Amino acid sequence: MRVSCLQENLSRGLNIVGRAVSPRSTLPVLGNILLATDEGRLKLAATNLEIGIVCWIGAKVEDDGAVTAPARLLSEFVSQLPAERIDMDLSVRTLMLNLKCARYDTNIKGIDASEFPIIPTSDGAEVIRIEAETLRKMINQVAFAAATDESRPTLTGVNARFNDKRLTLAATDGFRLAVRSTELATAAPEKSEVIIPSRALTELSRIIGLLPKTEGEAQMVEITIASARNQILFHLPDVDMVSQLIDANFPNYEAIIPKSFATRTIIDTQAALRALRVANLFARDSSNIVRFQMTPGHDGAPASLTMTATSAESGDNLANLDVIIEGPEGEIAFNGRYMLDVLNVIDEPQIALETTRASAPGVVRPVGVGPEEFTCVVMPMHISR
Amino acid sequence: MNDRPRAVLHLDLDAFFAAVEILENPALAGKPVLIGGRPQQRGVVATASYAARAFGCRSAMPMAQALKLCPEAIVLPVRHALYRQYSRRVMALLHALTHLVEQVSIDEAFLELTEQIAAWQEAVEIARRLQQQVQEEIGLSASLGVASNKQVAKVASDFDKPGGLTVVRPGEEAIFLAELPARALWGVGPVTAQRLAGMGVHTVGELANLPEATLRAAFGRHGPDLGRRARGIDESPIVVEHQRKSISQERTFDRDIAELRPLKQQLWRMSQAVAGDLQRRQVAGGVVAIKLRYSDFTTLTRQMTLPVPSDDAIEIYRAGLTLLERAWETGRPVRLLGVGAHQLMEPTRQLSLFDHAAGD
Repeated sequence: MRVSCLQENLSRGLNIVGRAVSPRSTLPVLGNILLATDEGRLKLAATNLEIGIVCWIGAKVEDDGAVTAPARLLSEFVSQLPAERIDMDLSVRTLMLNLKCARYDTNIKGIDASEFPIIPTSDGAEVIRIEAETLRKMINQVAFAAATDESRPTLTGVNARFNDKRLTLAATDGFRLAVRSTELATAAPEKSEVIIPSRALTELSRIIGLLPKTEGEAQMVEITIASARNQILFHLPDVDMVSQLIDANFPNYEAIIPKSFATRTIIDTQAALRALRVANLFARDSSNIVRFQMTPGHDGAPASLTMTATSAESGDNLANLDVIIEGPEGEIAFNGRYMLDVLNVIDEPQIALETTRASAPGVVRPVGVGPEEFTCVVMPMHISR
Repeated sequence: MNDRPRAVLHLDLDAFFAAVEILENPALAGKPVLIGGRPQQRGVVATASYAARAFGCRSAMPMAQALKLCPEAIVLPVRHALYRQYSRRVMALLHALTHLVEQVSIDEAFLELTEQIAAWQEAVEIARRLQQQVQEEIGLSASLGVASNKQVAKVASDFDKPGGLTVVRPGEEAIFLAELPARALWGVGPVTAQRLAGMGVHTVGELANLPEATLRAAFGRHGPDLGRRARGIDESPIVVEHQRKSISQERTFDRDIAELRPLKQQLWRMSQAVAGDLQRRQVAGGVVAIKLRYSDFTTLTRQMTLPVPSDDAIEIYRAGLTLLERAWETGRPVRLLGVGAHQLMEPTRQLSLFDHAAGD
């Protein structure tokens, strides 16, 4: 294999595929990145057998060939090189990859490419198309709510429901639930519901963020569900990602979303974020408990939301926010981190917090967006007095 | 869960220790009886019979002073084991009604009756029967209060002592409290009462009318809560009595310790043991206390209320260490160190969405 490319292209490509590498795998080749010539371009690929990422970069190919090289060493090395041309030359006999760039002349020991697993790429059949930026935002608005502990594998995934022209993503760790929905550009070929590992979607979101920005037409992601292989494929410009699906039944989350509320509090998102960040400084010593007290306006006094947090060691904090309240006064305690997670992914200037009583779930929604678009349910904390 | 008003009963045994002594020795009936430490030993009055109270004797008063007010009073030593027997019998009657019994002390308890009744009025009937039962089966007089929350029930039971049954119907809390002295409110001690008086506030009603900002300025973050309670609002739940009131560990060292590092190590080990014990019993401590005994046997205890009840070793250790660093005279040899969790209650926990859906 003899191939040349620009340092910044190779570095960006390695960055895109690098997160799929499994550095501590028992299979040494999974700690490597595949480099292979592919129809005049250089293909980079990595996989941890749960997700696989393939990325193509522009290159000048003199001789076709393929090899795998240790991911971490290669990425860190390339990122240090000057933004110039890199010439790569593989010795097939010794599997030594020679890289020349500016005044550097380097040899990296590889592993035979034939040991690298085949990563399926999109074949263009039965696709669902969605705007990349929309998908990225949707992922960010639900993935945080997925479970991170492996004891509940189903909940480590994001449920994706394709129903005609609507895509609904939902994630829950049992304590909060985030549901985000959008209109698809074209209807899905068939109604389907799959559970995608949230780690895979977070990677996808990161990759979309790394795509070069284009003028004019929005970049699209093409999604293919390969039910037979229990996989989902995402096709982006010059990048393919495949993920295993979680084969399970997702809980019936619609039943968890409260149908009514007693008190609705409209809060300025930025003000709430600031108050929560401050409260969390004090709450972190005490199970992250932040108490919310909603007081409707009376006798000319404006309605207010009071957030309080107390630490046995460091002191306590109270923040009073001017809000709009419909309904009676109320008091509820939330995990401040959970609330911060939700507010962090809302772009709208105002949010509505709907509460019923201290032991019933609270609902957070951006104001001015239809309820079907984004809903987050947060279960409160029980406090003994 | 539902949104109808709660029904909470507070039962307070009248002049309990004295009443038990009179039961044991009927000859004492109607006579001024003082239970407590001997005057020669600077003892204080634990309980005064109603006959003694007529002379102005009160509990917590130095015995010598009480005897000045009522020289013919019969002074009896405190017989805790005996009172506990009677207390247990009374509490057994309460537990027969509901498991939601919060025993506050040897002679008083709260009962949550909300789930036992279909109509609120039934709580009053239950209270009346209970009062009769305590009198007839055990021979003790009790004062009862029935209201929609603990705060008001407690004030109500104290309203008509001895032998009263005071009912405050839902919605009438604020009116009931308004005319009472601020001191009647649970949690208003002499210091708070004095500060309130300084603000021109003498009754609960006056307290209820204070703006929240004023309360906050005067009493900090507890201020608004005080105002709410003055308006008869109190959502504190019944905290079911657990077998033990506190869980603690202490260790007498083979050799006195005069350095912080080994003290911290001991504290950490004991905090872990306390936390493990709490977790096994599925309770959390609202208060962390330490006990420190110097080599000369001077002993001190210090305690701190946690912002949130905890069963976590790190939190108990942190609180304990804060107390230790405050209390310990650096370098003074320590003979014994102890740490404990008190005011045990249901642990704070993140509620689960799925449990909620299942239980709704």
